[in-house]
Amino acid sequence: MGMEKWLLAGATVMAVLGGGLGILSLQRGQRSRWTLVCMLGAFLLQLGFLGIRGEQRGQCPLGDFGEILVFLAWSLVLFYLLVGPVYRVSLLGMFTAPLVAVFQLVALFPGMIDPAPEHVEFTDGWRETHSAFAVLSYGAFALAAVAGLMFIVLNRQLKGQQLGTGLFRNLPPVRNLVASVVRLATLGAGLLTIGVVSAFQMAEGAAGIHRNVAVVTWAAYLILLGVYFWRGITPKRLSLLVIVMFTLSLLVFAFV
Amino acid sequence: MEFVCLGLNHRTAPVDVRERVAVPEPNLGETCGRLRELKGVEEGVVISTCNRTEYYLVGENSGDVLAQLRGFLSEHAGAALGDEHLYARTAEEVARHLCRVVSGMDSMVLGETEVFGQTKRAYKAALEAGHTAGGLNKLFQRAFAVGKKVRTVTGIQVGQTSIGSVAVDLAEKIFGHLRDSRVMVLGAGEMSRITAQSLLSRGARSIFVANRTYDKAVELAEELGGEAVRFDAWQKVLEEVDVVISSTGAPHAIVRREHVREVRRKRRYRPLFFIDIAVPRDIDVGVGEIEEVYLYDIDTLEQIANEGRERREAQIKECDAIIEAELKKMGVIA
Repeated sequence: MGMEKWLLAGATVMAVLGGGLGILSLQRGQRSRWTLVCMLGAFLLQLGFLGIRGEQRGQCPLGDFGEILVFLAWSLVLFYLLVGPVYRVSLLGMFTAPLVAVFQLVALFPGMIDPAPEHVEFTDGWRETHSAFAVLSYGAFALAAVAGLMFIVLNRQLKGQQLGTGLFRNLPPVRNLVASVVRLATLGAGLLTIGVVSAFQMAEGAAGIHRNVAVVTWAAYLILLGVYFWRGITPKRLSLLVIVMFTLSLLVFAFV
Repeated sequence: MEFVCLGLNHRTAPVDVRERVAVPEPNLGETCGRLRELKGVEEGVVISTCNRTEYYLVGENSGDVLAQLRGFLSEHAGAALGDEHLYARTAEEVARHLCRVVSGMDSMVLGETEVFGQTKRAYKAALEAGHTAGGLNKLFQRAFAVGKKVRTVTGIQVGQTSIGSVAVDLAEKIFGHLRDSRVMVLGAGEMSRITAQSLLSRGARSIFVANRTYDKAVELAEELGGEAVRFDAWQKVLEEVDVVISSTGAPHAIVRREHVREVRRKRRYRPLFFIDIAVPRDIDVGVGEIEEVYLYDIDTLEQIANEGRERREAQIKECDAIIEAELKKMGVIA
């Protein structure tokens, strides 16, 4: 196993550890400070993996499905590290860590990461821009979906008047969660706009189904945000939609 | 050198007795000085809150010090205090008692946090006035450390124990900081006033008061620093507010599902929190079925408050065990 896979395995262990410590702390009715530390560790190890793969390929490491998943997991952790502490969205790490771990575990499956990636001689700047921004946008969408899931859980507890759990006590307020969903979806839509525009500038042109799914995803998020800002939408519907849209939009990677 | 504590609290003395011996916070240091004038007293700290006044002293002989202290207290109260109102602690019992006080275990609302700060300020006043030395400095610093541990490790301060505080906690769970939240009060009753005041104390931005008798609405609005609204205009105000507290004396529901439905679009589907503390209820149950609405009635709030109280009471044994272990570790008790 090459160094990059060890780094990826290490990042996965850190994500599992971060999520596990978060859950254990929650059972005691507290928040785990170590989740953030573990996620920071995972982020650095992911950077190591992506750095080595980028060096091997001579371009942005998005050449196989495994790399795409790791890049996606990295952008998810990146936005968590940027958004979580700033907006005091506590527990976001505990909800994010399992998703990161799943993405990376799938990437670690045999055959997902090309053991001998081809080193390219010529790189298309537009292709690199498209790939990087598109995957970054998916990181933001993924985190919006995580915040949406947190809202659904909190909403259920508030509506059902089940207020005695450690999870309830530690979840951030409804308003903060909704604001996070909107900010992350807006950020993702902005990044995907750059991704989509650059796709149309690529020398080879964008591939058919992949392009169509990406454009539909982009349009869907823009419509959702338009509805939110123009006429408003209930927090529950907003959250459900960002979860469903992110899950469906993962289809785009099936057509890379 | 022996430790002594003499005091009275909400369990041993009614408010008319407690107020006679209460010491205003600015006078705490000076009172400690007067205590040190008693024969054989080396150090002194006075804690005085609305629920307790306690004297912590270090002296040569605890019996002598207690006898003098009783006299001092009666003099301060302007008349003799009955023994049934006072409790005395000596030796290691003083440390145990102080730890329970700072942990909120001796408070009227079990686990309340305010007493920790009040005790700290009382100790600081005595320290700055030069009335503490090795004995009480060590005792109080250790008690603060134990109090912190008790509050961190156990759930003694978790959950709310009154309807007002439960409502405020829920509002914060929905809206975060209440400084961006607007509140409407329907009905100018006492419970509305208390709950609205709790929300204001946590920073709620503005309050509208609607009442069938407009003059009462004006009166309460003035008291709360809010705005009075004619009762037939409350639905218009509903478009703007985040929290509605309702406690009218109406025999039927005031707020029905259609009232909220009509303003949903104008509210842009923002969350809306209804606190219904009226009996019979003012808010139709169907209102709570609207997606962005959170509806809590008086029974639910009372139940949550009861659960909070029970949860805190269940922690008492654990808190006492921590206090014992910590005091042993510190060598305060054998």
